[in-house]
Amino acid sequence: MSKYVIGIDLGTTNSALAYAYVDNSTGESEPVELLPIPQLVNAGEVAERELLSSSLYLPGEKEFVEGALSLPWNPNPTYITGRFAWTRGVENSTRLVSSAKSWLSNQSADPTQPLLPLTAPAGGQKISAVEASTQYLLHLRSAWDAKHPDAPLEQQSVLLTVPASFDAAARDLTQRAAKLAGYPEVTILEEPQAAFYAWIERNPNWREQVKPGDLILVVDIGGGTTDFTLISVTESAGELQLERIAVGDHLLLGGDNMDLALARFAEQQFAEKGTKLDALQFHSLWQQCRAAKEVLLTSDENAPANHPLTILGRGSGLVGGTIRGTMEIADVRNLLLEGFFPAVPAEAKPQRNRRAGLMEVGLNYASDAAVTKHLAQFLRNAGASAGGFARPTHLLLNGGVLQARAIEQRLFEVLNGWLAQAGAAPVTELRNASKQDDLMHAVAHGATYYGLVRTGNGVRIRGGVPRTYYVGIESSLPAVPGLPSPMKALTVVPFGLEEGSKVELPQRKFALVVGEPAEFRFFSSLARKKDTPGVMIDAIDSDFEELAPIEVFLPGHTEDGREEIVAVTLESYVTETGMLELWCVAADGRRWKLEFNVRERMVA
Amino acid sequence: MSRVSAAFSSFFSILFSGVLPEDVAAEFGFVKPQPPPPPVEIPKVSDGALQILQILQRDSRLIDFLMEDIASFADDQVGAAVRTIHTDCKAALTRHVTLAPVLDGVEGTPQRLDASKAPDPSRIKLLGNVPASGKVAGGTLRHRGWQASAVTLPPLGKQDPAVLAPAEIEIE
Repeated sequence: MSKYVIGIDLGTTNSALAYAYVDNSTGESEPVELLPIPQLVNAGEVAERELLSSSLYLPGEKEFVEGALSLPWNPNPTYITGRFAWTRGVENSTRLVSSAKSWLSNQSADPTQPLLPLTAPAGGQKISAVEASTQYLLHLRSAWDAKHPDAPLEQQSVLLTVPASFDAAARDLTQRAAKLAGYPEVTILEEPQAAFYAWIERNPNWREQVKPGDLILVVDIGGGTTDFTLISVTESAGELQLERIAVGDHLLLGGDNMDLALARFAEQQFAEKGTKLDALQFHSLWQQCRAAKEVLLTSDENAPANHPLTILGRGSGLVGGTIRGTMEIADVRNLLLEGFFPAVPAEAKPQRNRRAGLMEVGLNYASDAAVTKHLAQFLRNAGASAGGFARPTHLLLNGGVLQARAIEQRLFEVLNGWLAQAGAAPVTELRNASKQDDLMHAVAHGATYYGLVRTGNGVRIRGGVPRTYYVGIESSLPAVPGLPSPMKALTVVPFGLEEGSKVELPQRKFALVVGEPAEFRFFSSLARKKDTPGVMIDAIDSDFEELAPIEVFLPGHTEDGREEIVAVTLESYVTETGMLELWCVAADGRRWKLEFNVRERMVA
Repeated sequence: MSRVSAAFSSFFSILFSGVLPEDVAAEFGFVKPQPPPPPVEIPKVSDGALQILQILQRDSRLIDFLMEDIASFADDQVGAAVRTIHTDCKAALTRHVTLAPVLDGVEGTPQRLDASKAPDPSRIKLLGNVPASGKVAGGTLRHRGWQASAVTLPPLGKQDPAVLAPAEIEIE
């Protein structure tokens, strides 16, 4: 019987672990706490930090003196995880793996293949995105087990958060990483929902702050990703109910991009004065730009007009080699507020990325940096079924970027401008009590809180699957030479299918050959929310996104090697832990699970 | 081992090889002198001091700064560098050493002392008109003093403590 509920925020740049003790005899729980995570902060120095930097360094054989990498639970680790991985990785980027999480949802490369770091020289060591995620989770598990020897993590109830925009394949890979790291069956929770649960936890009177008919917009700007979610408040039998009704596209755009934009700008200014920075100096500049952003973008009237940037000289000529510059508030506002959060009309559309014929393997960074344009598009799509722009009544912000108050203010201004144009009232901010801390830790906190209420009678956001899923069916029209045969889409999973429920499609039979792998092309759509299971869509247009194909292998069982064909129907099921599963079911009751074939993403 | 076989094997072994067979030697209590165990490396007091220097150099470039000839640089150039060094140096120091005043009073205000005995000279230094007995009831607090209430240094490990900063070579 588990004693603790553990919520893990496996972030793109930082991870956190929160937990709460539950007394099984009374069902009472203690307040949610954050686990300090021991990690290498320098060679030979282990210290506790609230966040584990999601960086992995692959040390060379003789790179460090013996024992310099030992952790309390492992005298000789193969990899370095955490703070020191990042600082050493800056010095030698050919051995640093970062942003592994973004690679899990990448459509252009197989996350199970050893591809990272991309910059590794020929013959250099590489690992897969799944393996890197496994290492972060393993570090968190070891840190937990070292502090709770009588309550190992594998016996606890564990929740793991993923971006709301993660598709089924990326969620599957996340769970696979957890399994490899020795985790029990984990429950998957979406990050913006977790942030909202954190708000509920901090506001016991939350029922007085929202009412039926309200629409809550959650904007979560992390280090590497931005996520939008809409939660609607309804009433049933006198009780408030929450339902997640829409999630946004996966946007690889976050706080790190903003700091980097500032650093590139400053670097250029130095270059104009004739100073060229090397990689380490640039990194130092990047860190200082982050600090400058927070100082200059406070909403405070007394914010200084500029912030000094100092790059110390390399080598022992420190003072002589020191380069000085300043970051002007006007430039920061211009770069960040106008570049990332411009005041755009509600009709604004983000620029579509024009994909080159041959795409380089890499992350699909959002091609338009304007968060507000993406937000406008999200609200239009979310409101499309109701005939217009979705009109949120409340706004909950999450993520470290929003420590810069001016960014927060800009978001409110833009959103309220759109609402005023539509004749709606401005949004109310949902505030966390200890805001500054919460922006970094809310997701882990909220996940833990969700774990507590999941079993009890607490409030739970209903939502289910945030997309509609389809399998591709080749049209039976005669093939035209030179053209691929047209593909139709059969709806197999409706939008919002809830945990613990299943959908059968008895009317549609597929003939599968025993002993041969059968593969289905698999599509999803965020925009189409009204397709019901079994509905066939004739044209696969830009509303659809192709995922990794799904495949099933029916092991042969006839002794004479005779080819057997089994007629199966498809069944989809959402587990209690939030995982989407697709099954083939034969008339005699035999069942086979369909698995994602991430290896073939490149072909797709 | 029987006495006969022990006697014969000893006889022939000494005759041809000049040594007593090992099993016989062990049986009769002749034990080879064991090589002394490798000395356990006890950190010298200076190692801790070197380690602090190493940390301050690594995290705040303090040695680079102190060893540089800054006489020729303009004040604002020095000032810009010092601000950064000060921030980093303070962070590194407070991370490893918990500092507290010896006397937690306000500098420039009267401070009472125990008049019955002379104060511990390592903790309190008397200045000015100090009476011959060294016993005073109080005076004006000029400096609160500093003491390290805790020192947390990572284990030394196998690295040479005398190397305060490795040379850096960048591969283009």
